[in-house]
Amino acid sequence: MHKKSKALIAITAALAISFMALSANAEYPQKPINVIVPYGAGGDSDLTTRVWADAVEKLIGNPIVVINKAGGGGVVGTAFVARSKNDGYTLINAGLGNMLVTPNFSKTPYDFDTFTPIVKMTSVPFAVAVKSDSPFKTFDEFVAAAKASELTQGSYGAASSGTILANIVADHMGYKPRYVHSNTTAESMVSLIGGHIDSAMSFPPAFGPHVKSGRARVLVLNQKMDEYPGVPTLKDYGIQESLEGWSGIFAPKGVPEEVVTKLIEATKKVMKDPKVLQAYKNMGAIVDFRYGEDWIKDMKVTYDGMKIAADKMKK
Amino acid sequence: MIENIVGGFSSILAVGPITGIIVGIIVGIIFGAIPGISCIMAIAIILPLTFYVDPIVGIPMLLAVYKAGIYGGSISAILINTPGAAAAFLTAQDGFSLTKAGKSGKALSMALYASVTGEMLSTLVLIFVAAPISLISIKAGPIERVFLLIFAFTVIGSLSSESIPRGLLSCVLGMLFALVGMSPITGASRFTFGFTELLGGFTFTPMLIGILVMPEVIKALRQRNTPHQNLTLTKSSNPADNRISWKEYRSVFGTIIKSSGIGTFIGSLPGLGSSPAAFLAYGEAKRSSPNPEEFGKGSIRGIAAAESANNAVCGASLIPMLTLSIPGDDVAALMMGAFLIQGITPGPTIFYEHTHVIYTIFAGYFITDFFLLFIARIGFKFWTKVASVPKYYIFPCVTIFAFAGSFTANQDINDVLVLIIFSVLGYGMRLVGLNPAAFIIGFILTPFFEANLDQAIAIVGGNYLLFFSNPFSWIFTALTVLSVYSSMRQRKKAAAMKESVLIKVTES
Repeated sequence: MHKKSKALIAITAALAISFMALSANAEYPQKPINVIVPYGAGGDSDLTTRVWADAVEKLIGNPIVVINKAGGGGVVGTAFVARSKNDGYTLINAGLGNMLVTPNFSKTPYDFDTFTPIVKMTSVPFAVAVKSDSPFKTFDEFVAAAKASELTQGSYGAASSGTILANIVADHMGYKPRYVHSNTTAESMVSLIGGHIDSAMSFPPAFGPHVKSGRARVLVLNQKMDEYPGVPTLKDYGIQESLEGWSGIFAPKGVPEEVVTKLIEATKKVMKDPKVLQAYKNMGAIVDFRYGEDWIKDMKVTYDGMKIAADKMKK
Repeated sequence: MIENIVGGFSSILAVGPITGIIVGIIVGIIFGAIPGISCIMAIAIILPLTFYVDPIVGIPMLLAVYKAGIYGGSISAILINTPGAAAAFLTAQDGFSLTKAGKSGKALSMALYASVTGEMLSTLVLIFVAAPISLISIKAGPIERVFLLIFAFTVIGSLSSESIPRGLLSCVLGMLFALVGMSPITGASRFTFGFTELLGGFTFTPMLIGILVMPEVIKALRQRNTPHQNLTLTKSSNPADNRISWKEYRSVFGTIIKSSGIGTFIGSLPGLGSSPAAFLAYGEAKRSSPNPEEFGKGSIRGIAAAESANNAVCGASLIPMLTLSIPGDDVAALMMGAFLIQGITPGPTIFYEHTHVIYTIFAGYFITDFFLLFIARIGFKFWTKVASVPKYYIFPCVTIFAFAGSFTANQDINDVLVLIIFSVLGYGMRLVGLNPAAFIIGFILTPFFEANLDQAIAIVGGNYLLFFSNPFSWIFTALTVLSVYSSMRQRKKAAAMKESVLIKVTES
């Protein structure tokens, strides 16, 4: 009897230890996951990531820590993750700027292929906005005036994603704006409302509140949005390229398949949570949940398009 | 409007919101006081917690962290000459001089009273006249801001006590270091020598600590053979030295009002933040002070000016955010995120759509000041003890905080390297008589100046007359000239006084 119970304890202990060892090998995640946002706190990229991290954290029961590593137009934070271990515990908030545009325009120690895309949460369509008392009522009027004389347009840096998109549109329509570069689209909206610039390239989170309060007008959008009925899209003007900013999560290349599937599965559930959807809507972003091969292929097409645009601009 | 305010007060005076405010204040003071950890980090960490609570609990809590964090920066600045926040570094100039004289209680009290007064005044402005002020502030575009920033640079005149050329040289050096990294305008990398890590420029916090704080530690190391009593600061036994009397408060009240006004104005301009406000107020207070020679050597007027101005920014930076949905600085940007996620879109309609919520938040923002006053007063007893701890205990702690703080801000080991490099540079600057404060001013103001100048040039195109076509430009040009002239006159007066003293000494 005595011997028996001892043996039982030994067996249970051995089993328990082997289970623990097994789980240590298999179960991701075992420790807090860091998500690097390569921009300052409070911007669109930061907020979309924080909402995602908060919801996924609750679902998988493991802390997800959002760290802002701003600087160099997103290069500093992105390069940091490119150099990090590909164990799934360091992730990056990816977007049009740091993944598709900057590697083509500036010397970066990484490019699109340095990362494994995991999910895309949201997108924001490109738009051209003017002040509400501006003489340009429609995009056609604006284009006509911009062709006749050089108009100023707010953007955020000569090599930024904003200017690239604005240039693609300007090239198509045959005008050439004089860019006034602020740090963010939110800041260039300030200059627009203050009457210091003629127009601004912008995204819904930045212009939304101003349009809602009647101080600004959207002339054209990349994609139809319920909030802005009657605004023509760039497709109506024959521009087919994907002109949108977006926010997603990437990991350094070679991250275990298990990490990718686990995060995709978690995000699938999170993207059905009405609270999360409402939070994104409140920010002015379009929920655009994507993952998998098709999505990566589409991004690659945009990446190559940006390369051509970059070469054109450098000349 | 009055019934809205009353309604706001009655909603805020409930267990939930008050607990939120008290927690926020304690967190804010602690995070603000620890060098290298700023209140913006505290807010970013707490932000997700507020997603799921009622906006009238969550948002006042975040705002309490903000106000208390800006104030908290002054505590470590005064006691151990380690500004917890950038805006507090002018406070360190005068505050630590008072601490050295055994009057840390006086400096702390002045900082607290000035902070609370500045915050209250700007909160009142926020509550009552937010809308008209915001309409004026957006009229100040890039061109106007260029002139405002030129005016802000003249504070160097009040800071470089010994020599103006050295002050200017230090400032230019600071400007040079500010240029390192990727140009925000063209995307070109400047002075990075191929290091990706430098693309983001030098991180501000480690640089600030390296230039201003670590040289003090190195200096103390070099004095290690001097008798111990020189290394211990004794607290003055005279109680009058460790508090601010009503008379003293009244004597600087004019300065506080003026500085709060400057802080409120700068705060309502989007994109400048609290440091330029403190510079302008400090410079102006020195210019108009009856005894400008005291500044930098323990002037309570200096503390009052810097603290009331940088705290007044707290209230005012919400003005453009709430009325025009324009975040004035990084903290306001985070706050705007908090509002948006709660489903409240900042903008003029906020006052109609969310009347109750917004006035409750205002009420909370206002009573935060009373709680701050009360909670911070309790802390005084413990904090003043810190000042009388011998330096050979304090400085190792400061060093640890400096390194830990540099690392935690971005969790980047390179920032520790930045701290070490700038510690050496800062000590070297002291040896050759360059002015660290002017260096910091150059470093802080240059990115604003560059961005606005570039925008202004793009806006005027070929027509440079536009630079002078509005009254703002002329007013600030006039103020700049006045400021340069008055600091020259003060210098002459001081020199004449010195000479007359010298003559008297030689005569006798």
